[in-house]
Amino acid sequence: MEPKEQIKALEAKALEDLKNVNDLEGLTNFRNTYLAKKSELSSLMGKMKEIPAEERGAFGKAVNDARANIENAFNEKKEAIEHKALEEKLKKERIDLTLPGRTHASGKMNPCWIIIDEMCDIFASMGFDIVEGRDVETDHFNFELLNVPKDHPARDMQDTFYIDDSLLLRTQTSAAQAHTMLENEEKKPIKMICPGKCFRRDDDDATHSHQFGQIEGLVVDKGISLADLKGTLELFVKKMFGEKREIRLRSSFFPFTEPSVEVDVSCAKCGGKGCNMCKGTGWIEILGAGEVNPEVLRMCGYDPAVYSGFAFGVGVERLAMLRYGIDDIRRIYANDIRFLKDFSEK
Amino acid sequence: MKVSLNWLKSFIDLEGYAPEEIASKLTFAGVEVDTVSKLASATNLVIGEILTCVAHPDSDHLHVLNVDEGKKYGVHQIVCGAPNARVGLKVIVAREGAVLPGGTIEKGVIRGVESDGMCCSLAELGVDKKFLSEKQVAGIEELPSDAPVGEENVLAYLGIDDVILDLDLLANRPDLYAMENVAQEVGALLEREVKLPEYKEYAKGESDFVVGSITEKCKQFGGREIKGVVTKPSPKWMSEILTSMGVRSINNVVDIGNFVMLLTGQPINMYDADKLPKRELIVREDFEGEYVAMDEKSYPLISGDLVVSSDKVPMCLAGIMTSKACAVTEETKNVIIEVANFNGASIRHTSNRLGLASDSSSRFVKGLNTEQCERVLRIASALMAELCDAKEVLVCKTYDVIKHEKKVIKTSLGYINARLGTSFDLDTVVNTLKRDHIDVKVEGETLECAIPYYRIDMVGEADISEEVIRLLGYANVTAKLPSLNVAQGGYSEAQKNKNAIRRFLRNEGLTEVLTYSLVDEKKKDAFAYLSKAENYKLINPLTDEKEYLRKNLIASLLECASYNFAHQSKDLAIYEISDVDAKNFKGRHLAMVLLGNESIVGQLSTKPYDYYDAKGYLEGILNLLNLNLSRFRLDKLTSDKEEFHPYRSASLYAGRDMVAVFGEIHPSKAKELGFGKSPVVMLELDLEALLNMKSSAAKASIPPRFPMVTRDLAFLVGESEDYMNLRREIMRLDKTIIDVDIFDSYVGENIAEGKKSLAITISFRLEDRTLKDEEVSAVMDKIVGMLKMRFNAEVRS
Repeated sequence: MEPKEQIKALEAKALEDLKNVNDLEGLTNFRNTYLAKKSELSSLMGKMKEIPAEERGAFGKAVNDARANIENAFNEKKEAIEHKALEEKLKKERIDLTLPGRTHASGKMNPCWIIIDEMCDIFASMGFDIVEGRDVETDHFNFELLNVPKDHPARDMQDTFYIDDSLLLRTQTSAAQAHTMLENEEKKPIKMICPGKCFRRDDDDATHSHQFGQIEGLVVDKGISLADLKGTLELFVKKMFGEKREIRLRSSFFPFTEPSVEVDVSCAKCGGKGCNMCKGTGWIEILGAGEVNPEVLRMCGYDPAVYSGFAFGVGVERLAMLRYGIDDIRRIYANDIRFLKDFSEK
Repeated sequence: MKVSLNWLKSFIDLEGYAPEEIASKLTFAGVEVDTVSKLASATNLVIGEILTCVAHPDSDHLHVLNVDEGKKYGVHQIVCGAPNARVGLKVIVAREGAVLPGGTIEKGVIRGVESDGMCCSLAELGVDKKFLSEKQVAGIEELPSDAPVGEENVLAYLGIDDVILDLDLLANRPDLYAMENVAQEVGALLEREVKLPEYKEYAKGESDFVVGSITEKCKQFGGREIKGVVTKPSPKWMSEILTSMGVRSINNVVDIGNFVMLLTGQPINMYDADKLPKRELIVREDFEGEYVAMDEKSYPLISGDLVVSSDKVPMCLAGIMTSKACAVTEETKNVIIEVANFNGASIRHTSNRLGLASDSSSRFVKGLNTEQCERVLRIASALMAELCDAKEVLVCKTYDVIKHEKKVIKTSLGYINARLGTSFDLDTVVNTLKRDHIDVKVEGETLECAIPYYRIDMVGEADISEEVIRLLGYANVTAKLPSLNVAQGGYSEAQKNKNAIRRFLRNEGLTEVLTYSLVDEKKKDAFAYLSKAENYKLINPLTDEKEYLRKNLIASLLECASYNFAHQSKDLAIYEISDVDAKNFKGRHLAMVLLGNESIVGQLSTKPYDYYDAKGYLEGILNLLNLNLSRFRLDKLTSDKEEFHPYRSASLYAGRDMVAVFGEIHPSKAKELGFGKSPVVMLELDLEALLNMKSSAAKASIPPRFPMVTRDLAFLVGESEDYMNLRREIMRLDKTIIDVDIFDSYVGENIAEGKKSLAITISFRLEDRTLKDEEVSAVMDKIVGMLKMRFNAEVRS
């Protein structure tokens, strides 16, 4: 046989053999047979010197072409087989996609912390300082500097836990007002809120708790009026409860403010039409406020002829109960994880 | 304070205002109306007369009546169970379809006999039983014999067609405990004229009976002597008013006392003049001894308690309760009326100490108008003369050392508008104050406001501004935002750091709880490592469970974990930050409790919490605060209490101060709290101290230029060797060593008793060139040699 025909036949045979190769072992055998150094094709190359010099070029090219063809076909086949093998392997790696994931959920928070954090964020963004008072207060700061002298009937509004004659558990975060004003030696303007725990001698029931959270607010400067109070609380209420909420003020009484007001917010559930949440009135009472009593300013070293201010106090549990529809304040302090699971920060 | 609208109508025209409207106006003006309710409510009533009354054939207590209901309705047969049903009695009949508080009346058959309607008691019409006599509660109401049969407006006939406003009064308006002042308030709100009743002066001369005081705490004492009093039931109009106001009618004398107090706010007291040991009543505070009050109980009085005495014997615990000895009875003929002003604080002290209070004492405590003594005496004696047939009214010389001055407050339009943030004009302000019965004199910019005597709450300019806005309404205030000349505000560094720690822990899956700060005797000293100060103890706790202020937090968190564990939450990770206070100690702690398996791992595998979790969180927090661990010293936790596991707990010190304590629970504590064998890990740290430590400023570090070489080494050492010791010794051996990390610590199978296997990675690097292999090997030899020599280590190949 002519060498050229020999090459052609070899190539044809190789390609024919390749068709029957179906696995990695077959591929190795095939490579050894047709593409290795000792393969027939390589040995044909060895016959080069027997070829007349003028034909050598054509011969070499024919051998290389055949080799390239076989190699291409081989690579194609190899890729197909390997891909198939990979697919098989992946198939074996199948898992149950419906098993539960490895949890990486954030921890939850007592709803009161959510309310406190949110309020602090809102007021911090409005330029208020966050002041933290102490749970143990003196009678002087908790009552007397707030215009509630000893034996004042207003003391009966707040039954107090006493440690001794002068020390008590604060009944209101308003105690922080006096500290802030007295400690401000240069009598600079004040803009602060004070979140904290308060205590009153109430038996615990669905709506009363001997311990509760309050957030006090105080702004003092020249020319601070009820209009500033209304504007500040309006902004707070919209940020806390939604853009559509409105407020209204009702006259009230606190010893440390004059005038004093109760602040109602339009009911978020019915939008003010009246529903079971707002007891049909369309409004929900959320906080007490007022213009700082001149007597309080005077006792705390601010001249009431020059300075005025407003103050407000919000019950933390009340806001939490309203927002989340909590029916019993005792649930908040039970910290049952099945109850807390629904509360996390936004 | 209950307010009868019928009585109110006798002072002021309420035409055109529904009760709810009046209530709403009062509420917005700071006089909160708690409820608006009808005194009685019933429809389809008629006055009837019982024509026949026979026993029910099938009952031992029911009667079958024929009742004449007048021309319009005729005669109906009614089955009635009242024992007092009898022929000729005039009764209230609820006809078919009548709606009563208890339900709707329907025609029916009772034990085989037809019944068309019901004969009623007042209780069945909704009148509170406390206003009714036993007889009235037990049977049907017996109407007078002249009651008009067929009359359909029965509630009006009975005088119980009233609406009651229940006022929830705040401490600044004690004046509204007087009906007259309620009328003034409503008059101001509705802008209507108020006509207060005038009473005739019956006094015919002076009495030699002496009233007076020998104490500063009573500055005013007026009296009248009323002779020849006849005790009998009050007239219908008075008992109706009292019932509506929530007071039970007793007899004319007692009722006059209550009526005058409700009308004027001034408590008055009456004494049987013939039972007093001496013709005098003197207020004093020097009595000490037992006192038997009208309630027949004995009270121990001490010096300082105000009493009204006669011949030095207390006749009345002033303002609180008369003595049994001289109280007026049905037989009383001659009465001394007392109108006095007792010091509220003193009354409050005595009343609180004895646990004895009355309508009268609460009025003294809240504060009284001191300018109405003579008027009140006149009203009371006029009523005694008119309703008790008194023969003679004599005036006692009034004791009065009060400085009587008209209260005038000066303010200005500018002040009022500046305080309120409004722009009211002068006329509006002046007219509003006049509505409020304040006499205003305008002099240039100044408003001179003469305050009515009963408004004892008004003391300064701010009060005037409040009157203006509460009457005109807060809707007049235009909202604006304050602009202050300060640029600060927002969170402090410490607050930011605290919030970062809270976020870190929550991101790690821990839940932030909120627990009570008051604890019981047992918990007060539990886990007292960080704070050892003496607890604050309440002098007036509500219960034993909440008697002390806590100074550490772990016990509270364990209680919370124990509650959850008992309620099927076996895996839990919680923390809390709280102030802790004790004697001479103020702090802020962070505590956590980890229970069961790490929640974050998920359901398919479990990892029980252990010591290293608490330590890891502590290290994480220090890292967050940029506090290098090398600034702290770890020590074993020594305690004789079985709280922490003695060998799996530690404390962390910054200098000499303990800043954290953490570890696993002691098995006996776990058992006590019902955790069984579940892992419980605890950590408490002094957050205040950590937040106050100066942290190293964050600085960018440049990645090293030359490569790092690492070598692993495994060896056996004695089980009690601390890893940190080994590490420190290795680190100081050569300057090429930059780090030592542990990746395995193992005790157990294949390891000799008393030994543990450690596996570490040692990292080497130089700053100025690449290390050669031989150099590293030489250092490794040094390390192995040192470990063998110092720690008796056996290197594993």
